[in-house]
Amino acid sequence: MRYAFFPGCTLESAAEELMISTKKVAAALGIELIELEGWTCCGASHIQDVSDVLATSINARNISLAEDLKVDKLLTVCNTCTLMLRTAKLKMDKNEKMRNQVNEGLNRAGLEYKGTVEVTHFLWALIEDYGLENLRKMVRRPLTGLKVANFYGCHILMPPNVMGFENHMNPQSMEMVAEVLGAESVDFDQRLACCGFHAVFPAEKEVLDLTGKNCLSPKNSGADCIVTPCPLCQMQLDAYQPDAQKGFKEDITMPILHLPQLIGLALGFSPEELAIQRHVVDAIPILKESLVTV
Amino acid sequence: MERLQCKIKRFDGKQEYYQNYEVPYEKGKTILWLLTKIREEQDPTLNFTSACRHAICGSCAVQINGNAFLACNSSLDEILETFNSMKLTFEPLKNFDVVKDLVIVWEPKMEKMEQVKPWLIPSEEGTKEAGFIQSEDDYHQIAAPTDCILCGVCTSECNQLAVNDGTYLDPFILNRAYRFTIDSRDGSPEEHIRPVYENELWKCLHCMQCVTKCPKGIPLTDQIAYLRQESIRMGEVKNKGAKHAYAFHDDVRNKGRLNEVMLPIKTDGLVNTAIRKVPFALRMIKKGKINPFHMPKEVEGIRGVRELYKYAQEVGK
Repeated sequence: MRYAFFPGCTLESAAEELMISTKKVAAALGIELIELEGWTCCGASHIQDVSDVLATSINARNISLAEDLKVDKLLTVCNTCTLMLRTAKLKMDKNEKMRNQVNEGLNRAGLEYKGTVEVTHFLWALIEDYGLENLRKMVRRPLTGLKVANFYGCHILMPPNVMGFENHMNPQSMEMVAEVLGAESVDFDQRLACCGFHAVFPAEKEVLDLTGKNCLSPKNSGADCIVTPCPLCQMQLDAYQPDAQKGFKEDITMPILHLPQLIGLALGFSPEELAIQRHVVDAIPILKESLVTV
Repeated sequence: MERLQCKIKRFDGKQEYYQNYEVPYEKGKTILWLLTKIREEQDPTLNFTSACRHAICGSCAVQINGNAFLACNSSLDEILETFNSMKLTFEPLKNFDVVKDLVIVWEPKMEKMEQVKPWLIPSEEGTKEAGFIQSEDDYHQIAAPTDCILCGVCTSECNQLAVNDGTYLDPFILNRAYRFTIDSRDGSPEEHIRPVYENELWKCLHCMQCVTKCPKGIPLTDQIAYLRQESIRMGEVKNKGAKHAYAFHDDVRNKGRLNEVMLPIKTDGLVNTAIRKVPFALRMIKKGKINPFHMPKEVEGIRGVRELYKYAQEVGK
């Protein structure tokens, strides 16, 4: 299996642990990830607030770089990158005027959007392309006893006309992966909540309130940790957790793992190999307690 | 025979409680059929509103299993399939005050909407005698936003409203402001945009709930982006939202990728960042999540990226 790989900006700095764990897990599963040469930021759901055409253009450029690699799919590990790239793709594929206009700009950069590449997320690729039964065969250390709270994040689900991998009101993909890894999925109120990351500057107070609720809800449901397929949700819930704690009397402490880190643990990697020590809220004690052979 | 287990949130003006009803399943029905059947056959005290049954009056929206639906155009079978269950929990829409059971209060929302002047402010080009001629293209600009039936689904799903003190405008109000802003016959778009900007326009969380759940498929999030663009064109650039958007916009032009070290300073200013974000920065540096000395290099093909910026500027969108 071979994919063009779009890491996204956070993987180069704040969420470098996701770069490390994604590469290790992909290699262990025999998935080849070819990082796009010259990829740019996807706009992170902000650039369209300045210019629509620009937001579409930079992502049409990113997709065209993948097209040149002669692959079927461009893979990301970030919900928002996936949404931004897929939004641009949908506009390019369905709106001829937009396609012609954006391609005129791309031509000046010596590029052309052709529409030959799909945009997918690592979670979807595991289910759709790799197959969960194949993943099950690769499990070396079942995560028996680990109670995980699957926090999907909005942008892997909505809007459904752009994303549409599964029903946004009752998705099951994260639970399916957790089951294969041997972990127990905990149901909790905030499972499909918004992390608020994209407005953490203009709406800091509200977003920290959300962060507290998003940690407290799985904690009260007995979860050992949250797992998320999005590095932006992870950053909001983990790095801002000490700030959110100030607004809550109850202890909201909740470790937050990236999805590839959870998979990596089941494949037999140590928490350190998956760079779990880089998280602000220490996840290692609960993992050592729950996972017998860590 | 299969039976539907309906749990409905009741409110009698003083107390809230849940009441259970069992209804024999019938194929091919709507949610409104189910609520009506309960009221007609089991409990005449159950309160909910409905009128047209054709997704025009917007009065029958409720929450089912935590998601807002317009009861009259929502298929019972599809909802049972979505949740893979015969158990449905009904609650009134969120982010509204409740009168009784599933009935919500609209008056405060209407008063709130008045702030954006939800009416046409005529341009000088038209007169009473000559009328206000609009081209077909201009008409199509207002076609989608005028589809709004004021059902309240977007309000119920809005994640900002759920944590906001009430200042932030409901998505349907933003839609109404947009509708007049882009109307070619309106002479004063700023009068609609100004109150939108002043009422926390930049606090939208980009969660995509409103645009996902709107029963009329109105592109609410695109409208919010447009209102933000217009507020920038009006010169409102010295706020955290616009500065944050420009931080991304400028970083992509300059290097291709985001400079996470500079992001808080560009958004919040050096002084504010120094005062308020030091604990955050220290914990990030300690874990290696921020390297203050890391400066992204220009990506391969950055000249091409800058061509896209020039081009976008030329086409002016």
